Amino acid sequence: MIFSELYSAYYQTVAAILRKAVRRPLDRGELRRMVEEHAFGESLLQIEPAFREGRWPLLRADGTTPIRHSPTMPLTTLEKQWLNAIWADPRMQLFWPAGECGELEIPFPGIPPLFSPEDVSYFGQYADGDDYGSAVYRRHFTQVLDAVKGRYPLRIAMASGRKQLLHILMQPEYLEYSEKDDKFRVIGFGPRYRETVNVGRIIRCERCGDGEELRGRREVHPMGSVTFTVTDERNALERVLMHFAHFEKQAERVDGKTYQVTVRYHKDDETEMVIRLLSFGPLVKVTAPQHFEELIRERLRSQRHSQVFFQDKPGRER
Amino acid sequence: MPYSELVKNFGRIRDYLREFYVYGFKSREEYTQKSARSYDDERRRVESWLGDYMRFGKTAEGKNVFLSIDSRVSQRNPLYQAWKAKSFTDGDITLHFYLMDILYEPGTALSLSEIMDELDGRLAGFQQPRLFDESTVRKKLKEYEREGIAVSEKRGRVLYFRRADGKAWEELVGRGVWDCLEFFSEAAPCGVIGSYLLDRKETESGQGNGSRQGNGSGRQSGDRRQSGGRRQSGGRRQNGRQGNGCFAFKHHYITGAMDSEIVCLLLQAMREKRFVALETARGFHGRETVPEAVPLQLRFGVQSGRQYLMAYVPGKRRVRSFRTDNLGTVKLGENCGQFDEYRKIFQGMLPHIWGVSTQGRSGQRLEHVEFTVAYGFHEQHIHWRLVRERQCGTVEQLDEHTSRFQAEVYDASELVPWIRTFLCRIVDIHFSDKKLEEQFGKDLEQMYQMYGLGPEEGEKR
Repeated sequence: MIFSELYSAYYQTVAAILRKAVRRPLDRGELRRMVEEHAFGESLLQIEPAFREGRWPLLRADGTTPIRHSPTMPLTTLEKQWLNAIWADPRMQLFWPAGECGELEIPFPGIPPLFSPEDVSYFGQYADGDDYGSAVYRRHFTQVLDAVKGRYPLRIAMASGRKQLLHILMQPEYLEYSEKDDKFRVIGFGPRYRETVNVGRIIRCERCGDGEELRGRREVHPMGSVTFTVTDERNALERVLMHFAHFEKQAERVDGKTYQVTVRYHKDDETEMVIRLLSFGPLVKVTAPQHFEELIRERLRSQRHSQVFFQDKPGRER
Repeated sequence: MPYSELVKNFGRIRDYLREFYVYGFKSREEYTQKSARSYDDERRRVESWLGDYMRFGKTAEGKNVFLSIDSRVSQRNPLYQAWKAKSFTDGDITLHFYLMDILYEPGTALSLSEIMDELDGRLAGFQQPRLFDESTVRKKLKEYEREGIAVSEKRGRVLYFRRADGKAWEELVGRGVWDCLEFFSEAAPCGVIGSYLLDRKETESGQGNGSRQGNGSGRQSGDRRQSGGRRQSGGRRQNGRQGNGCFAFKHHYITGAMDSEIVCLLLQAMREKRFVALETARGFHGRETVPEAVPLQLRFGVQSGRQYLMAYVPGKRRVRSFRTDNLGTVKLGENCGQFDEYRKIFQGMLPHIWGVSTQGRSGQRLEHVEFTVAYGFHEQHIHWRLVRERQCGTVEQLDEHTSRFQAEVYDASELVPWIRTFLCRIVDIHFSDKKLEEQFGKDLEQMYQMYGLGPEEGEKR
């Protein structure tokens, strides 16, 4: 069962409490702090009285416990099935070395995977995703991941979008994956600027100098926001709100069929936001800010000009 | 029943989470499915689990509550918290920790009576010791066998229990499994299971994983932030990202997490090649019961955030799609002897499926769509964009300034939103479904008007 108390925040919290209590008596303040740290907002109201009133006879009044070992739990079959399933994912090669025959050996033989590659597929994904099978790519990925964890700078040689060779000194902060692009990017900063490098474009990458953490500018991504109205026809409201669900957003009803939505986005992705909004056609109308509205208008104006188009084309079958 | 932040059935909270996260504009009065008290309880629960992401707004219609999450910033899917709120009894949790402790040593296999003796001994130290009867403990051990965490073996006429072997997992931990779990818990189907595994990082290896960064909101339960207000999470870095993990995710739809139970059942049905009975709770066809369907594949829309089941429906003699968020219940049925045959049929259809639709409105078996885009000397990337995004279509470069896309698909209307992303460059377009072509033109005209672009070159502002 995927929804089970075995995986619950309460069980995890009690395990953490008992892990401490098997070593030494736990005082009430510590217990409270642990509940606040591990469980939900109102969990303290449940967990503390349950111990105090003896409903969960796992902690004695003096803060000791009859439990003798630091609590652990074997993996459930579901967890093993899921692990076996992700082992078949091509991206797993980035994390786990292949066996002697060049294939990854599943960690739990005899347990059927939760899903096989043919059970799932993705649509809308771009065709030029990263080549996870390439040994060079995997070496670069491993180096970058190590630098992220070890917090050391990298000297990177990469091909730019225009096929020029670029050299970058970079302190990687994290790897960003886009399912749509099926690509990893390294996000970090250099001596002067924030840097983003596609892992697939790295030609060489190596640890830089003595490996001391670079002191550069950690700029915050500039954010923008766009407000638009949605006319709820052809199920547009639901489509729009699902489509923009991964952003911070706020929606409110203007009248019976019209809704106003405000979405916050990274300024770097403004062009992408423009075309995503255009994709909804006349059911979405950008209302603010003015410069964003103008970006849409400019595209439509160009379209009008380039439109020798179906309804105007001489001899075209209507 | 007094209020508890834990729930017995996930289905009960699923609709509320969806409303708060995806929609978020309804006021309290509009939640009419249940009583006002039920709404208040569910809202309070969601606030307890996801307080950091809860926002409150005020409109003319009243106060509304919504969840606002930038999944590019929050490294772990906050909605997984809801999956960790399953209710249990006092006996469940007490037995869990004692049984796991009593059977702790790998070589330890005990009979039920030995376990009972040990359990009674441990509990005897409490002032009012709780006593468990044998059948309760046996039931719990059997449940743990089904879950895979306990194993039983018969020696003579006595049944002995021990903990399941944990060596393979220990080996994975020893070889550094955490990085891949951090990634796949967000990127793989049923990622919540990866999140469960990540929770072990803290409790079993003593390392914090930051996955609880969304919790602890109770400390600020009085902090009812107005919309737009934000509290900085403890793990937030200077660049606005929350937590200290190695990965972040762009274009990352987290909504599917709410359907994990449904998805898990459908995956089981496919693995075991079984029929399912489906009941949809909402959607295009409204409430619908499909007594017999053969699940063939789950399709995830990486640009729409939607998850679909592709299934063969014997009653309709065709493959059709069901949105997983519209599915209320899935019941596993008998084995399907023709599973492989149906899946082969479906795989043969894939070169003509743009998204999930297997039937257009035109009545044609396959619909044709083609369009041509023009671009300037320095805009060759437009051609490559077409190539990259073509899916089951083909792209032909006609000259150095124009490229043509074409496809034969079951439902050409599925391509329309994508085609509109090329607006400003489309010089020719053609659909075999003339009604669709007409609608495309009308929509475009309407867009010109909406943005004050008059019928001629002049603009109205």
